[in-house]
Amino acid sequence: MTTQPHTKTFTPSRPIWCAGCGDFAVKGVLEKSLQNMGVAPHNLMLLAGIGCSGTIQNNIECYGYHALHGRVLPAAIGAKLANPDLTVVAAGGDGDGYAIGAGHLVHTFKSNPSITYIVMNNSNYGLTKGQASPTSPTGYRDNAEEGMDAIMLGLSLPSTTFLARGFSGNPEQLEKLMDAALEHTGSGKGFAFLEVLSPCVTYYDTHRDWRARVYNLDEDEGFDPSNRTLAFGRVLELREEGRIPIGRIYKGEHASLESLIVNRDELPPAQQKIGKNGHGKHYEKFIKSYLG
Amino acid sequence: MSSNNNQPVLEDVSVIVAGQGGDGSLTVITMLAELFRHSGLNVYTERDVLSRIRGGHAAATMRAFTGEKYCIGSNITLLLALDQEAVEKNAWQLDSKSIVVYDDSGGPVPPDLLPEGIRLYAAPFNRIAMRTMRRELYKNSIAFGVVGRLLGLEDESIRETFTKRFQRMGQVILEYNLEALGLGLHLADEMGIHEGEGLYRIEHATPEERLLIIGNESVAFGFMAAGGRFFTGYPITPSSEVLETLQKWLPRCGGVARQTEDELAAINMAIGASLTGTRTMVATSGPGFSLMQEGIGHSGSAEVPMVIVDCQRSGPSTGMPTKPEQSDLNLMVFGGHGDFPRIVLTPGHPEDCFYLAAQATNLADKYQCPVYIAMDQAISQNIATVKPFDLDGLAVETGKRLEKEDLEKLDAYKRYELTEDNISPFAAPGTPGGMSLVTGNEHDEWGLVSTDPENRIRMMNKRMDKIELARNELPRARHFGDPDGEIGFIGTGMLFGVILEAIEILDNDGLKAQYLQPRTIWPVLEDILEFIDKCSRVYVVELNAQAQLAHLLIHQGADSGKLLNILRYDGIPFRPGELVKRVFEEESRFMDNQKREAKAQ
Repeated sequence: MTTQPHTKTFTPSRPIWCAGCGDFAVKGVLEKSLQNMGVAPHNLMLLAGIGCSGTIQNNIECYGYHALHGRVLPAAIGAKLANPDLTVVAAGGDGDGYAIGAGHLVHTFKSNPSITYIVMNNSNYGLTKGQASPTSPTGYRDNAEEGMDAIMLGLSLPSTTFLARGFSGNPEQLEKLMDAALEHTGSGKGFAFLEVLSPCVTYYDTHRDWRARVYNLDEDEGFDPSNRTLAFGRVLELREEGRIPIGRIYKGEHASLESLIVNRDELPPAQQKIGKNGHGKHYEKFIKSYLG
Repeated sequence: MSSNNNQPVLEDVSVIVAGQGGDGSLTVITMLAELFRHSGLNVYTERDVLSRIRGGHAAATMRAFTGEKYCIGSNITLLLALDQEAVEKNAWQLDSKSIVVYDDSGGPVPPDLLPEGIRLYAAPFNRIAMRTMRRELYKNSIAFGVVGRLLGLEDESIRETFTKRFQRMGQVILEYNLEALGLGLHLADEMGIHEGEGLYRIEHATPEERLLIIGNESVAFGFMAAGGRFFTGYPITPSSEVLETLQKWLPRCGGVARQTEDELAAINMAIGASLTGTRTMVATSGPGFSLMQEGIGHSGSAEVPMVIVDCQRSGPSTGMPTKPEQSDLNLMVFGGHGDFPRIVLTPGHPEDCFYLAAQATNLADKYQCPVYIAMDQAISQNIATVKPFDLDGLAVETGKRLEKEDLEKLDAYKRYELTEDNISPFAAPGTPGGMSLVTGNEHDEWGLVSTDPENRIRMMNKRMDKIELARNELPRARHFGDPDGEIGFIGTGMLFGVILEAIEILDNDGLKAQYLQPRTIWPVLEDILEFIDKCSRVYVVELNAQAQLAHLLIHQGADSGKLLNILRYDGIPFRPGELVKRVFEEESRFMDNQKREAKAQ
């Protein structure tokens, strides 16, 4: 469906991914979810980082932006604050989000803007030929460090509102999670963080390993994603058991960034007409304050 | 009130207040500035502080004058020294006509510190504050009484200014300060400095409407007035006031000003906002500016409009954060990896900051590239009286935009379409039919990544050639002085006021000089090169160690044989008199060289 020519805008190109790459599932599910949620292509801003996953915007009809390495989140926040009426989706890999861009991830959890962030986690740097990434386990190549878990990082920050993990090998569940993420941001509830386990078939094929280790919390009746303490405990336990929790891990409430700082008595920044005296009465007040 | 008509009319005074950080030097200077502004005079102030909240030497200087002046003058009328270090650090600026008001709580001022014949008024402000008010804090308000009387200010107007200033901080603080001022005025009586018997008579003119403003505030408003609606920054001296001003004012008109976690987030968040068609600006300094380089290059290659305010401070690395320098020029003009277009504008006074910021905002949108406003710490933070901005004369030009109706008429919309003027029309996200790709990778017209060599050449040329087109409308340099003057001056930023006054002094000394103040430094416009051509030699005055501006001019075709450098990188701003001295030294060296060369031939 993406290779059909469009008359007026760019033709989404074929993905550059290797056959069997988990990212295909992510793309397919994202397109499906956007339809499910009724997001029109012209209202979608899809921003992506650098890496294999950072090309997804070329393959979907949207306003697409290719960010600098590690900087997709600040760019996405800027777009959302300037025009809160857009559906803003950021996408990238685990290197982009958890290594070079880790600082921004922490502050996006903290500030809670209503944007969806999809991290395609393949636990290595595929595009640069398989170096260890922040989520690579101890012993992968020469990696001496323990891999990090961004869901646990999110759980540790008091303002997080949506944390989920999907698996490209389970697209049905991934679609539900993606729908929920888009619903969360679409209704202005804040930051939806969705990590997708997306194996790299070329440099680090974890498909079988991950399939064996995933633990679906959505099917665990004793689990309650609105309970942060419980969620943290379960994630930690499962990790210690060598399992990888997937599903809706946490959903909470906190004011979204745009609801706190965009003045909705006026048109949002991007929708204001640029012209003479656009500042009007405010300018007069300003002048007075400096006249003393 | 008695008045003595034998006193000269106040036309030009400069006052330094110096002590330890936290002593309130800046408060005294700001209040003096307000008082003189109310009396119909113009003012210019300067600060000399360390990067810490309390302690360490701190001084502020204020000049009040009639007519137009744009710097602190060569002669200091009065120094209020709150301790001995204040005298030691500032004695170089004094001459025999200066007056020193000295806090002798810690003992008398060593006589050899001061120029001969200087008038000294000593009183134990600190001791009085401690004895009567139990707080050292009030010593500057006590001293204010003495200084105010000496400068010819009326008691009542001083009280009014105190009331206005301290009311904001609460009734208690106001009462204490008024009490301290009363003590100071009483002390002045005891010292024989009665009301109306100061050094000057202030002729109250009907005050023209003037804003009392710093360059950072002015730049913020120029941006806002030109439709700027999104700003990001990370607190850094001396640029923080741009962030603070816009955080206060931008939300009122529906804009967003955000303090980010670092400068990487600041520039990239700004890029994200700019992608939606919002006029966007960032401000930073030194280390933050280095961090933003990748993002700025990206804005050049992805053709995302961006205004970058660089409040230059002393570098490299953390350098001297509170000191002015002009040493980022190379980074502005040549910085970032790869080739990309950029424009660099440079204002010379807080007033000009407004107009250049508005123009930069227009230019960025029109040419879809990064546009710098090159400030320096002095332009950024010195307070000056400025004529209310001319909003009616302000041009607000929009870039090439496509709305839904425009798009419907097109066969195809390509974000990076090759056009005659090299500017591709832009459709903002949210507009039906305008879906497109923006990337910093080399791309084809659609925005799809491409390494095709022919496409690469077309796209690179398209971006770089935009600047050639922009040349015609970039701010021209301003010319001052004798158009037939043999020697010329070029200098930017805070040096504007200093050079302007220096050429007056030179003229009085019989040396005809002219001055060109560039307002665009990249691309280098013909007006600068033509100016150099018509002078027999040109002093390029700069606040950096490598003569960055002179090298840039030579790189762009200026005759290197004609350029002489006057450089300064000690963190101290030039005074016009000092600059004149340096010029005469250079002139005599130049003449000696000429003679030597003539002999050798």
